[in-house]
Amino acid sequence: MSTTEVVVTGLGATTPLGGDVATTWSALLEGRSGIDTLQEDWVADLPVHFAGRIAVEPSELLPRQRLRRLDRTQQFALIAAQEAWQDAGAPEVDPVRLGAVVSSGIGGILTVLEQYDTFRERGWKRVSPFTVPMLMPNGPAAAVALEFTARAGAHAPVSACASSAEAIADAIDMIRTGRADMVIAGGVEAAIHPLNIAAFASMRALSTRNDDPKTASRPWDANRDGFVMSEGAGMIVLESAEHAAARGARVYAVAAGAGYSDDAHDIVLPDPEGTGQARAITSVLADAGLRPSDIAHVNAHATSTPAGDVGETVAIRAALGDSAADRVAVTSTKSMTGHLLGGAGAVESIATVLALHEGRIPPTINIEELDPAVRVDIVRDKPRDLPADAVAAINESFGFGGHNIAVAFRRP
Amino acid sequence: MRRPDVAVTGLGLVTAAGIGTEASWAGVCSGVSAASRNPELAGLPVDISCTVPDFNPNKLVGRRASLIYDRFVQMAIVAAREAVADSGLDPETWDGARVGVVLGCGMGGLRSYDQQHKRMNEVGPQAVSALLIPMMIPNMAAGHLALQFGATGPNFVTATACASGATAIGCALGLLRDGTCDVVITGGTEAGVLPVVTTGFAQMGALSTKRLDAPETASRPFDADRDGFVIGEGSGILVLERAEHARARGARVHARLAGYGASDDAHHITAPDPEGTGVTRALTAALADAGVSPAEVDHVNAHGTSTPLNDAAEARVLRRLIGDRAAVTSTKGVVGHTLGAAGAIEAVFSVLAIEHSTVPPTANLELQDPEIELDVVAGAAREHKSNVAVSNSFGFGGQNAVLVFTSAA
Repeated sequence: MSTTEVVVTGLGATTPLGGDVATTWSALLEGRSGIDTLQEDWVADLPVHFAGRIAVEPSELLPRQRLRRLDRTQQFALIAAQEAWQDAGAPEVDPVRLGAVVSSGIGGILTVLEQYDTFRERGWKRVSPFTVPMLMPNGPAAAVALEFTARAGAHAPVSACASSAEAIADAIDMIRTGRADMVIAGGVEAAIHPLNIAAFASMRALSTRNDDPKTASRPWDANRDGFVMSEGAGMIVLESAEHAAARGARVYAVAAGAGYSDDAHDIVLPDPEGTGQARAITSVLADAGLRPSDIAHVNAHATSTPAGDVGETVAIRAALGDSAADRVAVTSTKSMTGHLLGGAGAVESIATVLALHEGRIPPTINIEELDPAVRVDIVRDKPRDLPADAVAAINESFGFGGHNIAVAFRRP
Repeated sequence: MRRPDVAVTGLGLVTAAGIGTEASWAGVCSGVSAASRNPELAGLPVDISCTVPDFNPNKLVGRRASLIYDRFVQMAIVAAREAVADSGLDPETWDGARVGVVLGCGMGGLRSYDQQHKRMNEVGPQAVSALLIPMMIPNMAAGHLALQFGATGPNFVTATACASGATAIGCALGLLRDGTCDVVITGGTEAGVLPVVTTGFAQMGALSTKRLDAPETASRPFDADRDGFVIGEGSGILVLERAEHARARGARVHARLAGYGASDDAHHITAPDPEGTGVTRALTAALADAGVSPAEVDHVNAHGTSTPLNDAAEARVLRRLIGDRAAVTSTKGVVGHTLGAAGAIEAVFSVLAIEHSTVPPTANLELQDPEIELDVVAGAAREHKSNVAVSNSFGFGGQNAVLVFTSAA
């Protein structure tokens, strides 16, 4: 039985590095950090004073009337989806053959918090009738489906920081099983709020490098001390190769397959042996029909936490085997974007696709002293050319709850 | 290539009608609504809900879990333990890598979020719990089940608002058919009966407000005088298994999950498409997926929320596609609308309707809306043999999910 081939034909993003894919990509190649000190008054009471705010506010792009009825996650999702759709050539598509799979780790949490405040301070009568459609985690998927009349199904898989990689995996599946010809897939997070920062900080998950925020996100550095919370969205247009060919669409890459697993080890800590992560890589290879030696590049999950980064490199080595693992170029773009939580997998998949398409791998910045336990080749400081004969690359995303997702892309 | 059959081998429920499948089934078959006044909602425009009575987390999930897990996780654990025990599978000996967990949840741990928000405002950020993030993120319902049962296969939560539970079961079906898993623990959970959420729904005009003095009569799907839904909470869990796997171990099979269909209206963010074209597509796709014709449907567990718009639009589709030969019910009359758990709880009720040849009545259906030209079961449970049962679920966002169950024989 032959599997329907799925291709990437459109990309869209709004990130701490830029309001679109082109700006974000050039910042990634320049090795620029999108992290900065927050300007809000409440920062003073918190142990962490910085985060990765998006570079271009939605108020510059969407009319005020619309903004009021959309949670910040929905605003980001629409902006990124609009870009991806235009990038794909804004084709005429039968609505019942178009799907939307848009994830978020937590959903419209800023709406929840704002409405709690309204409710307590001003009474129930002032609670917005848009509260529920704005707070629900499927809100961004619903907004994208409505905007682009995607009637083949709208979904929002939630697996914490692996959510949007899972969205891309689900979209591949929707196309392979014939439920859709095209899917707008990706993820978003907009959760920069004192309560969320306090909560992550109290888990000791965040970097506290308040005096030098731009160097705070330092995956695999010996002195890494936690991740940096960011916001933003990434969106990918996927379609069946046949559909793309029929309309003469430009193809960035083949979305070759996905692999899933769960650690079932601890609710937040990753398995230090990386067995679950390795299983996700092994299964993505099988699903995509790739050999370990085909993998030229891995865009790693590596968040800059002491507990996480090294286990991932162990998993890469275990899954690919020594000879393939010796040749793979690994990077963590979180060193520049920070951690977009439910938006991370999508933004990093875009970076993975562009690395294959442009032949350039963005660097990991801020590594002053490489953790000696790291035994893979990390692309440091400067971008590196992808070998001309490179076949494929993998994006890895892991989430609290032990969720592991790997998505593979291949050159067309 | 022949597609593998999928068997339902385990069931678990936590609903306002009772903790456990037996108590919940007896509750819905009695036709007596479980809605009651909720002291936590006192002073709000709507102060009634379908809350799970006597849900004592300390006793049901243990002291530690009662303190550090949100209620939506606790309810999922209770329902899942029942479902796994019911299936006869032994998590001590199964191959965990072949066991997936896929749950639906519309919101997540908003109760924990609310409490910690209060603490931060009153005491300061240093008082915020280190456990807040893992307590509130919606995927934790699936994450905790992986830990409980050593299930290391694919693991996620899916959110399609009030269709979440059904969407999750549909995703689980895919994982079994394509050979990724032998067993999937699936279903939904929701614990969203909170002042701000209830008020949000009330402000939209989605909740019943006419009968706050007689809460047990407020949820009345398909009744001419219905005026909105009653918010509820709970969890429904099914153990699904490749039929071959179930057969090899001689498992008791409750029913088969034969088909799944999904679509989106792309019509309006909260209101259903009055023409029901999206729902029609999901139902048609589910029946085609199951390989059954509309004429073969014996029983429908409707989405039937008791809102004027939903019930009328859903009934038009059912009338057009299936006609009046199927026995239709909405169990939301008894257990209320449990949002992200509803599709899963109703999937369990659909399976039980097949297994017991009984269709539970729709509570409070006194005068059927003349626009609803269906055979809706009212008054008392009806003895009715069903070989094919359909469970409908629709969510804000226009998200439609339909499941088709067939008898085990």
